[in-house]
Amino acid sequence: MATRAQRVRRRRRPTWSLFTERRKPSEYEVVTHKFHYHFRREPAPFELDPNMPVNRWYLKYREGSPFQVDDWEKFRDPDRLTYRTYTERQREREIYVDNLIDEFEQNDHYAHLSREWVQLLERLYVPSRFSGHVLQMVALYVAQMAPSSYITNAFYFQGANELRRVQRTAYLTKAISLDHYPELADSDRTRRTWEEEEHWQPMRELLEKLLIAYDWGEAFVALNLVVKPAYDALFNGQLAGLARQNGDELLALMADDFDLDSQWTRRFTRALVEYAVEHRPENRGLVQEWVEKWTPLARRAVAGLAPLFAQAPQPVAAEAVVQAVEQQVQAFQNECGLAS
Amino acid sequence: MPKLERSEWYDLARDMNWHFKYVKEEEVFPEELSNSYGIPTEAWWTWDEPYKVTYREYVRNQSVKDTSVYSVKAAIARSELFKHVDPGWKSAIIAHYGAIAIPEYLASIGEARMARFGRAAAWRNMALYGTLDETRHGQIQVFFPYGLLEHTPQFDWALKTFHTNEWGAIAARHLFDDMFTANDAVSTAIQLTFVFETGFTNLQFLGMAADAMHVGDVEFGALISSIQTDEARHAQQGEPTLKIFLQHGKKEEVQRLIDIMFWRSWRIFALLTGLSMDYYTPMEYRSMSFKEFMEEWIIKQFMDQFRDFGTDFPWYWDIFLDELDWYHHAIHLGVWFWRPTVWWNPDAGVSPEEREWLEAKYPGWNDNFGVWWDTITENVRRGEIEKTLPQTFPVVCNICQIPIVTPADPKKRHVAPYTLDYEGRRYQFCSEPCKWIFETNPARYAGHMSIIDRFLAGHIQPPTVEGALAYMGLTPDVMGKDATDYAWAFEQDGAESAAA
Repeated sequence: MATRAQRVRRRRRPTWSLFTERRKPSEYEVVTHKFHYHFRREPAPFELDPNMPVNRWYLKYREGSPFQVDDWEKFRDPDRLTYRTYTERQREREIYVDNLIDEFEQNDHYAHLSREWVQLLERLYVPSRFSGHVLQMVALYVAQMAPSSYITNAFYFQGANELRRVQRTAYLTKAISLDHYPELADSDRTRRTWEEEEHWQPMRELLEKLLIAYDWGEAFVALNLVVKPAYDALFNGQLAGLARQNGDELLALMADDFDLDSQWTRRFTRALVEYAVEHRPENRGLVQEWVEKWTPLARRAVAGLAPLFAQAPQPVAAEAVVQAVEQQVQAFQNECGLAS
Repeated sequence: MPKLERSEWYDLARDMNWHFKYVKEEEVFPEELSNSYGIPTEAWWTWDEPYKVTYREYVRNQSVKDTSVYSVKAAIARSELFKHVDPGWKSAIIAHYGAIAIPEYLASIGEARMARFGRAAAWRNMALYGTLDETRHGQIQVFFPYGLLEHTPQFDWALKTFHTNEWGAIAARHLFDDMFTANDAVSTAIQLTFVFETGFTNLQFLGMAADAMHVGDVEFGALISSIQTDEARHAQQGEPTLKIFLQHGKKEEVQRLIDIMFWRSWRIFALLTGLSMDYYTPMEYRSMSFKEFMEEWIIKQFMDQFRDFGTDFPWYWDIFLDELDWYHHAIHLGVWFWRPTVWWNPDAGVSPEEREWLEAKYPGWNDNFGVWWDTITENVRRGEIEKTLPQTFPVVCNICQIPIVTPADPKKRHVAPYTLDYEGRRYQFCSEPCKWIFETNPARYAGHMSIIDRFLAGHIQPPTVEGALAYMGLTPDVMGKDATDYAWAFEQDGAESAAA
């Protein structure tokens, strides 16, 4: 005779044998749990010669990273995004941005922007598709190196959000150029600004160096706790404020919307830092060290671009921009439990 | 809608190429993750994708596609449809999910590698969509079998297979790691997108979708045809990469990449799709034989591509064409015989009627393969099932990791395995192309141990069939059994009913 408990167990819907918690997994967990069978696999992550170059790369920068916990598989993105929920969410958001643009275009928005403002955009905003693209590249690097698919997928979506912002920047650039001057949409000219203009060089230096931060833990910390929080504070928050006071409400509203993407990034970043520290307290010091290592470069990058805010027709003082960004970054790091 | 068409602004979103100043280019694109093949930096910047898509279009299209596929799933889940599906077909989809779901997700890592280490911004953007696509395919192809777990624990292997050392899992990992998970971004664009996706996934996905609809498996059919629409888009990263190779006089290099991966893809598809199409799919629902599908979808497609781009046929083309007639039949015999070593129930697929079909599609099948099945059938009829089960293991190829099979006619063919001695170790290969692949880059493969190498080295304990099954992670409720409980052995010529 089966006991009552056995009968109950038998009736329970079967789940993945790899999902060992007693409760039923959510759809998010069903389609995310333990996809990275290659993490800490013996003798090497991939089924080729254990010493072939990509095996060595993963052993050094993923398994060999000082940023470790015993088990990464219990980490959860607070928004529990799957491919399906991500595309659904972003589809709605893109419809919103389309409608925004449409509404402003009905009112001939670009033609009403002052020439001085457009010239400032050329120096401050238009080149940001280069910097935004680097953030996209680095997100995709962290994604491919992360030890759990719960982390990887979040970085895939973060990278896609960068592409979203870059493409809307490209759109606005082209649209404004049609009502003002064609050189605004001249790629070679924009590339020169990114490569040569003095205000951009500290940002370029920061981002080029970020590209070769190959330890997965360091790449995660540098990108999501230092560089991106500062970058987003500058290009979503501060730029929105500046745009608003210079009569560019469209750019301001778009930046507000991109900041919803950034807020999600900050939510899962905080969750991941808390998880890492909770499961291995030494991680706090390690994260702190990386934050300290990257902060001076990031500060210089922000300080490099801030003077451009002071050159707008309705300016914001460079120092005020620097301080506001600094405050936001600090506040976020504090939220993550990192002492400043 | 915003007033500008995509074409008016799109180029501005893919011009983000620049020269590095604060770091070295070779640090940003290390050769082990992004082999330049000696092609100069700015040459890569001309990379131009044939298919353009924006983020806005992407999330809209994909969200609509997902809604449609998931609603089919929801509708099917309420019906009893799956219970009535033919057992051979069930085996085909159980094999498919175990072998394909996680590799699709692994392909997202390959795509992410191109999205970071691809040598042009336009390419990196396309690879980002590819990354998302493959995440979709991984997630959706574990979600569907998850819904079928109550029917058989074999569906658990949709997630579990790659955590095990089951021999097919080793073979699949070895292939897919070579192709993308452990490959550099540039080679991945040729080997994953140009060879594998443009060429071979058509076969698995369009071919299997057609069969699925005939069988009445609407859920599987809807799923894989939806997947194929994504593949058709992101597979197009291969062509512009190939063009850059050819423009810069790197035909020999790109030809080698193609030849390696065409052969490797053929091996895995013969194993997976060959068996499904010619033995597992119920005969009345087969739209074409595997060979016919290969000729229609693969050979024609590749011949067009070779002609269009000016690359050559792989040097082993005659060997490949010859294998179309026998390789997967031999593998089928092996998989059925070693059925406890797989996570699905192999369908022998050799009832008298099916044998007639096989002989018609593959003249000479009875003489070459039927004779072995005659003996197996006799054993089954006599109730001597143990004679149809393995007591030992076959030799496995050190490249494809698949048991070595060759037709037993020493006058016509090379019967013994091909061997190579390299740095004090002897390697065995199933064929000249597999041996050649090893020789193109021994350091990439030499330190790997096949399941038989592990067995002989004492890694598998106890060194018995039972010990090996445990090593492979197979539990009694999952181990393959004959799909129809040997009904085929008792069918008489011209009669449908079983008469024992």
